[in-house]
Amino acid sequence: MAARGSPLQGLIARFLPWIGAGLVLGILPALLPSYVQSICTKFLIFAIFATSFDLIYGHAGLLSLGHAAFFGAGGYAVGVLMLHTGITSFWIGLPLGIVVAAAIAAFFGFISLRVSGMYFLLVTFALAQLLYSVAWNWLWLNSPGMQGIAGIPLPDLGIPSLTWNTIYFYYLVLVFFCICFYLVYRIMNSPFGYALRGIRESEIRMQALGYNTWLYKFIIFVVTGAFAGLGGVLFAYFNRLISPVYLGVGTSFLPMCMVIIGGSGTRIGPVIGAMVIIFVEYFSSLVTPERWPLILGGAFVVAIMYARGGIVIYLSRFWKQIGYRHGSIEG
Amino acid sequence: MEALRVEGLSKDFGGVHALSGVSFSVETGDRLVVIGPNGAGKTTLFNVINGQLSPTTGRIFFFERDITNMPTHQRAHLGQARSFQIVSLFLNLTVLDNALIALHGTKPSRFQMFWPMDGYQNLMDDARKNLDAGMLWEKRDEFVKNLSHGEQRRLEIALSLAQNPKLLLLDEPSSGLTRDESSEVIGLINNLGSKITVLIVDHDMSLVFGVADRILVLHYGQVIADGTPEIIRADPRVREIYMGMEECIDHVGAG
Amino acid sequence: MEVFARNLLNGISFGMVLFLAGSGLSVVMGVMGITNLAHGALYMLGGYVGWTVAIQFEMNFWLAVFLGGLASGLIGLSIERIFLRHLYKQPNEQVLLTFGFVYIITNLCIWIWGGRPRMQFTSPALSGLLDIFGMPYPITRLVIIAIGLIVAIVLWWLQDRTRIGAIIRAGMDDKEMTMGLGINLERVSMLVFFLAAFVAGVAGVVGAQIMGVHSILGLDILLVALIVVIVGGMGSVQGSLLGGILIGLIDTFGKSLFPQLAMFTMYLAMVVILLLKPSGILGRRV
Repeated sequence: MAARGSPLQGLIARFLPWIGAGLVLGILPALLPSYVQSICTKFLIFAIFATSFDLIYGHAGLLSLGHAAFFGAGGYAVGVLMLHTGITSFWIGLPLGIVVAAAIAAFFGFISLRVSGMYFLLVTFALAQLLYSVAWNWLWLNSPGMQGIAGIPLPDLGIPSLTWNTIYFYYLVLVFFCICFYLVYRIMNSPFGYALRGIRESEIRMQALGYNTWLYKFIIFVVTGAFAGLGGVLFAYFNRLISPVYLGVGTSFLPMCMVIIGGSGTRIGPVIGAMVIIFVEYFSSLVTPERWPLILGGAFVVAIMYARGGIVIYLSRFWKQIGYRHGSIEG
Repeated sequence: MEALRVEGLSKDFGGVHALSGVSFSVETGDRLVVIGPNGAGKTTLFNVINGQLSPTTGRIFFFERDITNMPTHQRAHLGQARSFQIVSLFLNLTVLDNALIALHGTKPSRFQMFWPMDGYQNLMDDARKNLDAGMLWEKRDEFVKNLSHGEQRRLEIALSLAQNPKLLLLDEPSSGLTRDESSEVIGLINNLGSKITVLIVDHDMSLVFGVADRILVLHYGQVIADGTPEIIRADPRVREIYMGMEECIDHVGAG
Repeated sequence: MEVFARNLLNGISFGMVLFLAGSGLSVVMGVMGITNLAHGALYMLGGYVGWTVAIQFEMNFWLAVFLGGLASGLIGLSIERIFLRHLYKQPNEQVLLTFGFVYIITNLCIWIWGGRPRMQFTSPALSGLLDIFGMPYPITRLVIIAIGLIVAIVLWWLQDRTRIGAIIRAGMDDKEMTMGLGINLERVSMLVFFLAAFVAGVAGVVGAQIMGVHSILGLDILLVALIVVIVGGMGSVQGSLLGGILIGLIDTFGKSLFPQLAMFTMYLAMVVILLLKPSGILGRRV
């Protein structure tokens, strides 16, 4: 793996993409109109959501069909907090959302992991639907006279002089995106991350090697639930409204699409997938909003059949950094 | 010291008696080879000893400890290691990653979620030693699915030795290997030393007789013969089962 | 007493629809190891096609049932042949693929038939009430029960009494061995998939008599069918029938006794089964 040219060139080549990405994400949006900033914010939120899904699907190999349950739970925690206690402090809403999402993930994980294979898929699906149904019917979880909770204000950071606008909120989300991205990156490279991939490849062998595979799967359920919940919290503040839709199948499908199209089991695949889908969704809404699900479903089917490595596999020909160092499900 | 003792093991699969009343024991350092026709229950026996299956009746003692109902991963911590008949390597990961994961299985840091794997220098050194023994260090960045069958088998055995196990279970180590590759495997097993006890299931008679101190013959889930290679070779029941293999057994026995 | 009898018959007729909707899913899962999430969409498609035939073109109801089944069967078969077949060893990807098709089929249905909510679909041929021990009861539901029973008997006969059924059951137990015996499992699998999709389409037309047709059915029915599979057990006609009727009864009596609980009774049953016997009442050990 000799670097071409001088070591300095090698160093620059390694970090250049990250610096470039940092500039684009950090500076470019400030120059764009506010509705584009909004889309960028949405993209980052879903990048967090998709990255959390990839942890459990791309790395651990578990297809959790109801991942929106954790995303939505985070959002509902924020909404319920505001609705019933009037608290809008971000510093309470955020941890609460993450804890609630993680708790639900622990509960779902415990039940789902009692079965394997096909049954596991069904159970994750059905449990998410159960939560959806609860959100639909339980009055306590709804603003009076409507479905869901409306009127969620922008987060109160406790900074008196701060007045919100789109770009400040974008930067708030960007900060959390970077934190999340960094943490997931650390997990992927840690012994725990290696073990997850081992479990994905051959759970039997992992057990014979001394790994308590159930425990790993359970822990990753809780961890991805927490990250998804983080996404949900940010989404609630972004959308100003949380409703059962965000717990449902439609929302669960989005990170799956993003991960498959972007490239599963990689560092930036989910992020790229999120970017592509959120932006294409926007363009589609201008041209043909009713056909968006068809476009999404079609692109998804094409990606699964013919481009399993995702967009990342094409990019990795130019940049080794984002290549398949950790191996993934190749086409 | 008695490494493994198995008493009255039976395993039923809804009417099919895969194992019936299997009993034997193995001393530390022994090389016990289990042979028998297809379907005799050999892999089932391994699955029960290693914990992938629980026996219907019977008990298993590992260094005097009753492990009959212990989950597989805990048996690894006690010192068992196993290779599998069907390739169960981590195909989509690199050779090096396979080794690192294998080495980490019994270490407490395997739950660590923040510091990178690269930072464990001791582990990297051990991986090097482990892969060197299997002559696979040069291929460390290859994906396992791209290795040849022989290389995969070598890796499989190398991985099973990664944790310096006390009991090694090798399930058909020579399956799919050429003559030369099989001899390598025989050499490797013979060089393992007397601290490690080895149980092997195989069909390749040159491997069986080249390695075994003792041979156990299974047929329809029952032990029909248990003894030194000479005794087994001469046993009429065994010869009957392996009709047509007679020449093979005679021929190999001489070498 | 009349309330009880009415609930009973309602529960059984609803259960029959559930059985019809879930049996295909269950058998495909058990036999081919494919979790076809698009199964609900196939149900919905059958309902839409049946509506077009029976209401828009005012043709015979039974023709509508047949054509609805046929449409779903053909679409289902093409999904299997063109797409799923290539993902043979990758169960996760198969499931994802079928998930994608839920979106595609649902959106196509909306495109063709419009996004109208709940289209009424009660065939005039089945209207009217029958007097059962002094209680007037809709003929439609009785016909549904009859259809369910007939389909159940036919499927059971196929499963247990024919050579094809034996092949299917053998394939379920040991795919390699069955193929090794020279049996063309692929051809049989195609037939199974088509049949399962066909029954789903039929279920869509039949079920529409009680529930109408609407564009969210794709997911709603999938969910219910999954619960039937979980509760009744995967892979057998008996399991689906038992699961279907049980859930139908639980849901009907549940809604009648505790209206505020609505769908929860179904979910409760599912969770209970998962905690006690995860493979379902008549299912094999998971």
